[in-house]
Amino acid sequence: MLRAENLTKRYRQGEKEVVALQGFTYAFPKGATAVVGPSGSGKTTLLNLLAGFDLPTEGGVFLGETPLHRFSEDERAGVRLRHMGFVFQQWNLIPTLTALENVAFPLLLSGWPQGKRQKRAAEVLEQVGLAHRLHHLPNRLSGGEQQRVALARALALDPEILFADEPTGNLDAESREQVAALLFAAGEARTLILVTHDLELAQRAGRILYLKGGRLLREEALQPAGT
Amino acid sequence: MEVFYLVLRNLMARPVRSLLTLLGVLVATSSMVLFLSFGEGLRRALFQELSRVGPAIQVVPEGTEGFGFSPSPEITPETFQALSQAGKTLGVRAVIPTLLLTRGGFDPNTSFFFQGLPPGVAPDLLYPGVKAREGQLLPSEKGAVVGGRIAKRNGLSLGSSLRLSPKVTLKVEGILEEAGGLADNLIFVPLPVLQEVLGTRNFSAVLVALNPGQKAEEVARALERAVPGVKAQTTSEVMRFAERALRISDLVRFGISLVALTVGGLLVANTVMMSVYERIREFGVMRALGARRGFIFRLVLLEALLLALMGGLLGLGVGSLASSAINLYTVDQVGLALSAITPRLALFALGVALTLGLLAGLLPAHNASRIPVVEALGRV
Repeated sequence: MLRAENLTKRYRQGEKEVVALQGFTYAFPKGATAVVGPSGSGKTTLLNLLAGFDLPTEGGVFLGETPLHRFSEDERAGVRLRHMGFVFQQWNLIPTLTALENVAFPLLLSGWPQGKRQKRAAEVLEQVGLAHRLHHLPNRLSGGEQQRVALARALALDPEILFADEPTGNLDAESREQVAALLFAAGEARTLILVTHDLELAQRAGRILYLKGGRLLREEALQPAGT
Repeated sequence: MEVFYLVLRNLMARPVRSLLTLLGVLVATSSMVLFLSFGEGLRRALFQELSRVGPAIQVVPEGTEGFGFSPSPEITPETFQALSQAGKTLGVRAVIPTLLLTRGGFDPNTSFFFQGLPPGVAPDLLYPGVKAREGQLLPSEKGAVVGGRIAKRNGLSLGSSLRLSPKVTLKVEGILEEAGGLADNLIFVPLPVLQEVLGTRNFSAVLVALNPGQKAEEVARALERAVPGVKAQTTSEVMRFAERALRISDLVRFGISLVALTVGGLLVANTVMMSVYERIREFGVMRALGARRGFIFRLVLLEALLLALMGGLLGLGVGSLASSAINLYTVDQVGLALSAITPRLALFALGVALTLGLLAGLLPAHNASRIPVVEALGRV
């Protein structure tokens, strides 16, 4: 389980101190949790801290009993590789690699042999409906397809925690629906932390956390609308 | 898909830039290879020539350095007699006085090199292995034996006249086979004739041939002790001197080629640095997915090394071609291949190219591996 305790992040902008997140405490259970809030509410900062991209000014992030915030950059990268998957709003695929190679990349980092990497990557791409696009470069794929490749890449190592940051923000209605369905299906068996502006999408999660001004305003438990 | 493959894909994704950088490294490496190949060629030609010289010791006036004769003949007949006597005592095979005369200018095509040999001494005693292609090997009192290349160049044949001075004209009595050595460019004439032409009784040098089992260094030192005012040089001493001189010249030529190398290095650094800046987000994604700093560092450094290695290999190839072209010319002109790409030069060139890549890649690699993930992903 991923747990945040009194998570606080303050930045200095010239003379001025900006509080991006203050006193955020929450334990993320299995299943989908949506984090919503207006721009500047601290959603991105929260995701950065939970994923170990950045370190808190105060408080900590725990994966089980492991204090992620006490780890070095490389140690946090190791934790991300073993336990976390990421889907970003802008897909963030490596442009020089094919869909198959993009999905195989985390497997390469984990030291999988080439044959097994290829097999696993093809398998996950098939799960997201892209078996026919294995050898296409990202610029030959539509936005929806690229996001599905990104989802396949996030799932390649079967992580316990899946982060999705505005995963449907740049997609048309049809692609949005496809990606959302796949995302929530993947989130059933793991912890899915979904950061979004899209309240309709958020309501398909089991819980919604409302952030405002860097603080957790409230938590709302929902009956998930299903996939 | 290994790290090497990732690097290759990235280079191929920007073909024009990669190609231009390769060209920069190619020019830098090939110019360095070509510059240094002259030292290697001279070294090889010199050592080949020295190994073909029969007498193991060359006695010259004291103060003469390296492989060369004094501009004016300074060894007197008395000194030669003393050397001859000392040689007999030491049990050497032969003590041969010789005299050199150059006619012409700096252009080898219009110059003539005469070597005077005492009566009864044929060129093959000094240059073992030389053979007469036509005529005789031992010139008579008014005859000359001509090296194969100089004969061809000047259209000399048996019976041709060689005018050494208004009073002295010799007939060509023998033409040597071309063997690719110094003897190809020499005209062997009787020593007394050359002394008459130069108006001297002196000699340029005295050559000492040893019997099997004799040690050149020991005999040389004994000759120097026995005859004051001379320097007895063994072939290996001449080689050591030549090596020292060539090393200095190597350093000078390497210094000149450093300019081209620096430009090549800066090109690689610029390309890799640009590539890093363009790919900051990509590196951020890799780090977000779990890549350690060392992985990014290796990725960028390998890119610089690969560019430098490919440029170095191509530069070596182009340098080799240029060296062959130069040798075609110098062999035709002076009978010697003056440029040589030796294995040690090839390894040195590749080593320099790789060092170039390493130096050019270190800073971009360090920068790429140190970019904070949140900044790289634009998530600040």
